Amino acid sequence: MPDRAALIEAQIPGLRRFACALLRGDRERADDLVQDTLERALASWHLRRTKGNVRSWLYTILHNRFLSEQHRAKRRGLHDSLNDQMDVPGIDGGQDSALEHRDLIRGFSLLPEEQRSVLLLIAVEDLSYEESARVLGVPIGTVMSRLSRGRERLRQLMYGDINEEDSHRQNGVLRRVK
Amino acid sequence: MRATGGPVGEDDLQARVDGRLAPERAAMVETYLAAHPEERERLSSYAEQREALRAAFGRQSEEPSPTRLRVANLLAKQQRSRRQLLARIAAAVALLFLGGLGGWTAREVLPRVTSSPSAVLATTVFDDAIAAHRTFSVETRHPVEVGANEETHLVQWLSKRLGRQLIAPDLSSLGFQLMGGRLLPADSGPAAMFMYENGKGIRLSCYFLSVDVGGRTEFKYREEKGIGAFYWVEDGLAYAVTANTDRASLLKVAEIIYQQNSPDGAKAKVPPAPGKPS
Repeated sequence: MPDRAALIEAQIPGLRRFACALLRGDRERADDLVQDTLERALASWHLRRTKGNVRSWLYTILHNRFLSEQHRAKRRGLHDSLNDQMDVPGIDGGQDSALEHRDLIRGFSLLPEEQRSVLLLIAVEDLSYEESARVLGVPIGTVMSRLSRGRERLRQLMYGDINEEDSHRQNGVLRRVK
Repeated sequence: MRATGGPVGEDDLQARVDGRLAPERAAMVETYLAAHPEERERLSSYAEQREALRAAFGRQSEEPSPTRLRVANLLAKQQRSRRQLLARIAAAVALLFLGGLGGWTAREVLPRVTSSPSAVLATTVFDDAIAAHRTFSVETRHPVEVGANEETHLVQWLSKRLGRQLIAPDLSSLGFQLMGGRLLPADSGPAAMFMYENGKGIRLSCYFLSVDVGGRTEFKYREEKGIGAFYWVEDGLAYAVTANTDRASLLKVAEIIYQQNSPDGAKAKVPPAPGKPS
């Protein structure tokens, strides 16, 4: 089955990107999650629905693996608080754009997981609303409302208090959460 | 994204940000935004945010994937583990088969060994007597606790501990002289052992254990790594005579001991036919 490898291989960059963003920039864990996903996908290749596309099937597996890992981590009492600093990927450009970029990543990492997932799948991974609903296992109306709330919340986190001094901005992000 | 009518809603606005607005609703949404500048502003900020997110996370996928995520490597790994699984299944099947074979073979042997209490007792006494013989017969300085020079005391002591009168067998007719004896622990209580030696330095031991079994049993024979042993029970006492010798020589010893201990004394007949070696 040479096409199976090629079909899966093509999705790996997107899966790594999605995993890394879900795990707030922890690349090592993200690659573990992707590896786990790929192994499961290869093992259950014959079980996937022939009509469903490989892409959303892979994202579904990854998201489910992510949730169950979060669940296990929570049961073990591992700390995964909202305040975890996200690893900020580097960015070219001036000081202003770097700050803005940092605020974006930080603000994004403060969103609830369900809003982050929706935003990533739709805005970054370009999945359709229907595909996203299938990946997350929720009705499409839920996807739409999470998308709307996530965008608005991130906007407020980014621009809600733009005149505040720089020194306060880091912590200000936390205080501005409603 | 709604295909048909209805007023402009939040879903339409989100779909416009993502470029997924149904064409037939586009005009209506534009009209709405023209009339609501604050909504237009909100949407343009969402659009900026969308681009910023794509820029921020998109660059992370530009790095090459690590080799552990290559599908070819994962497939090879999967095949390896599938082969290992098959090997493990094969091993389990083989074990199951061997177990079945063993069980089939043992169906005749095991009942004899394990089913009756007397068989269990024989096994235990054989084990203990052979172990004691193996342990003490090789001792040059302390093969016994109490020497033959104190024979009377020895017999009284061991008789008292076993709760019945014992006789130290007289094996001089076969060239074996009493060296002495010792007390031994056994599961069901203390056991007694007398040790003999002939002129060639061959040693044999007589092992006694009080048991809750009446009547008499036939002789049983067991051989284990060059050590032979005869076992029988008579009148609540289990006997085991053990030596590094052949079955025929040992049988003579067993018969003499049997006769000397029989209530009929030396007149006693030879016991029931000796059991076959097992």
